[in-house]
Amino acid sequence: MKRNEVENCLLCNSPIDVPVTWKTLLTNEFPRTICLECEEKFEICKTSNEEVTSLYKYNEQMKDYLHRYKFMHDLLLAKVFRYQLHYHLKKTKELIVPIPMHAEKRKERTFAHVDELLNEAVIPYTHLLEKMTTATQASKSREERLNTPQIFQLEQGVIVQQKDILLVDDIYTTGTTINHAKQLLLDAGAKSVKAFTLIRG
Amino acid sequence: MKFKLIRSNKRFLYKGIIVEPQVRDFFTGRIWTRSNTPFHQEKVNAYIQQNYFNVKSGITSQPKGIFLRQSFTCNRCYNQIQHEFVQYNCAKCEKICVYCRHCINMGRVTSCTNLILWNGPLPLKYQKHVLDWDGTYTPAQKQAAQELTESMNNKRSHLVHAVCGAGKTEILFPAVLHALNKGLRVCIATPRTDVVLELFPRFQKVFPNTNIHALYGNAPKQAGFSQLVLSTTHQLFRFENAFDVELVDEADAFPYTIDLALQQAVLKAKKEGAPIAFVTATPSTQILNTVKKENWSYSFIPKRYHNHPLPVPRFEALWSYEKGITRGKIPLKLIEWTEKRLSNREPFLIFFPTIQLMQKAIPLFQRMNEKILSVHAEDEHRKEKVIKLRNEEIPGLLTTTILERGITINNVQVAVVGAESKIFTSSALIQISGRVGRNVQFPEGDIVFFHHGITAEMDEARNEILRLNKEGFGS
Ligand SMILES: [Zn+2]
Ligand SMILES: [Zn+2]
Repeated sequence: MKRNEVENCLLCNSPIDVPVTWKTLLTNEFPRTICLECEEKFEICKTSNEEVTSLYKYNEQMKDYLHRYKFMHDLLLAKVFRYQLHYHLKKTKELIVPIPMHAEKRKERTFAHVDELLNEAVIPYTHLLEKMTTATQASKSREERLNTPQIFQLEQGVIVQQKDILLVDDIYTTGTTINHAKQLLLDAGAKSVKAFTLIRG
Repeated sequence: MKFKLIRSNKRFLYKGIIVEPQVRDFFTGRIWTRSNTPFHQEKVNAYIQQNYFNVKSGITSQPKGIFLRQSFTCNRCYNQIQHEFVQYNCAKCEKICVYCRHCINMGRVTSCTNLILWNGPLPLKYQKHVLDWDGTYTPAQKQAAQELTESMNNKRSHLVHAVCGAGKTEILFPAVLHALNKGLRVCIATPRTDVVLELFPRFQKVFPNTNIHALYGNAPKQAGFSQLVLSTTHQLFRFENAFDVELVDEADAFPYTIDLALQQAVLKAKKEGAPIAFVTATPSTQILNTVKKENWSYSFIPKRYHNHPLPVPRFEALWSYEKGITRGKIPLKLIEWTEKRLSNREPFLIFFPTIQLMQKAIPLFQRMNEKILSVHAEDEHRKEKVIKLRNEEIPGLLTTTILERGITINNVQVAVVGAESKIFTSSALIQISGRVGRNVQFPEGDIVFFHHGITAEMDEARNEILRLNKEGFGS
C-alpha cells in the first residue's frame, strides 16, 4: 500500500489533498481514501452493548455507501473503512469469524463483502460457518425473520469447543443473523460469542 | 435502408424464430449488458444463440507502451483512464477480473460481462412526422434553422452559436423534422438532465406523431422504437452506431467539457459519417478549434429573439465577504441589493461559489425574509424550488452554479457573490448573465458581479457580452 494510492476521493471524486503531517506519516500504512467532507457525513454509533459493537449509524451517507459497495458492486469501496476496522480489530483476542454468504449469492455478487472489508483492513479471519439459504434477511418480514429455522451450519470438520469467537458482519439490524450464528456456535460448545458490525441499522 | 430490411427479413425466416417487435425496438442501436436487460434471460439467450446479437467482452485489454503494460478499455463507456479500472478476485470466474468505475452507475461492467449489440432486423419507420408549431422566427433564427437543416442534409457537422435567449430550441425543429421524414434516427443530447426534462415536453408538443424517448438517470421505461431520442450525454454510453443525426445542446456544459469518455460516447453513439451539430451560447476554445480543423459549417445569432440587447454585468467590490458571512454578517451592499429586490417584489437569484458558503449564508438571508430558499446539485427538491420561484411563491433563491443555464424566470434579477472564484469561468458568468431579461415583457434587469478583486474571467465575460451586443446592434 503506497502513499498516493488514491488521489481522488472514492466517494465524491474530489481531489484528496491532506497536508503531510507527522501523523499521516505514522499512519502511512492506510493512506486516506475519502475526503474529509465525505468522512464527516458518516455518523459514529455510540449505542453499543456488551454483546454487539458497531462503528457507525445507518444514516443517508451510509445508506449510499452500502448501496454502492454491496449492490452496485464497487468492490474498491472496501478500502473506505480499512483504517477504522484495523484500529478496532487489531488487538482482538477472540477468533474472528465473518458471517458468510451463500456460495451462489457470492458468485452472483462476485465477492464476499464482509471478507473483503477485513482483507483491506489486514485483519486475519477464519470461516467456520456456511450459509444454507439464499434468501436474504432484508427480503423477509419481521415475523418471518424471527421464525426462520437455523440459517447456518458449521463447516465440515471445524471444532469450536472452548473457543472465544467474534462474529463480524456489515450491518446489525434486527439481530436475527447474528443470533442464528451465535446459537449454533454456542450449541457446538463455543466458550463465548460476541459480535462486531460496521453499521448499526 | 431498404436493402437491409429485405436481407434481414430473409434471414429471419431462415432462422425460424419469430422476432418480437419489443425486443427489436428496444435493442436497435443499443449496447447492453447481457444479464441485465428488461427481458427474460432465457429469451435473450435464445436470440443470442440464433445470432441476433453481436456479443463482446465488457472490458478488453491490450499491451501498450514500450513495457507492454496491460491497458484496459471499457467497451461500454470507452473509458481508458487506467486508474478507473479495478482488478479483483472474481468469485464467479475464480480468477482475476477487471471492472470499470467510470460507468458503474449504470450497472457494473466487468471483463466477464457480455455486452450485446442488436444484429437482427431493423424497426420499420413508416410514420409521417409532422411539426405542429405556429411560432415565428426572427430573421437570424430563420437563417440559422435553414443553415442547420442544410448541413444535416449534406452530412456536414455544424455549430450553432446563439446568445442566451436567442431561442435556440426552435432552431432545431426544421432540421429534426427533415431528418425524421427521411427515415433517419435523430438524437438530441445534452450534458444536463435539467435540459432533457425541459426539452421533452416541448418536443412532444410540436412533434405529436413521433414516439420520443427521454433518457436520463432513473428515467421511466418507455415503449416502442423511438426515432427521436432526447438523452443526457451519459446515457449515450448505452448506444452504439445508432444515430444518423446527432444534435448536442449546451455542449460546453460540465462535465462534458472535461470528460473524454463522454465526448467519445457522443461519437460512438452516432453512425460512421453521421453529422453532428453543437448548439451553445458559449462555445469553448476546444469546440471552436474542432469547427475550424474539421471545416464545420457555422451559424451565429448575436441577438435575442425579442430584439433587445443582452444585459451587461456590473462589477461591485464586496471585500472580505467570506469572512463576513462566516462571522454571521452579510456585507452591507449585498443586504441593500437584496432589500431592494424584496421591496420591488422582483424575483432574484444569488449565485455562490461553494455549497458551504451558501449554507452559512442561507440562515442570514432568511432573517430578511424567511421564505428565501437555497438549491444545489444534490437537492432533491431542486425542480420544485425553481417552480416556486417562477410562481412567485418565494421571493428568491440562493444557488450554486447548478442553475447557471436552462432556466427562465420572468423579471429575474441576478447577483453573483464571489465572482472572482475559480468556478466562475467566463462561460459560466455569461450563462448566469443570460438568465436576466429573457422575457419580452421584462427585457432588462440587474446583473451584478460582487467580487473580492476583478479577474480576467470576469473581464472576458463582460467584454464578450459587449461584443455580442455590438454584433447584434452595431453600436
Ligand atoms: Zn469475473
Ligand atoms: Zn465503463
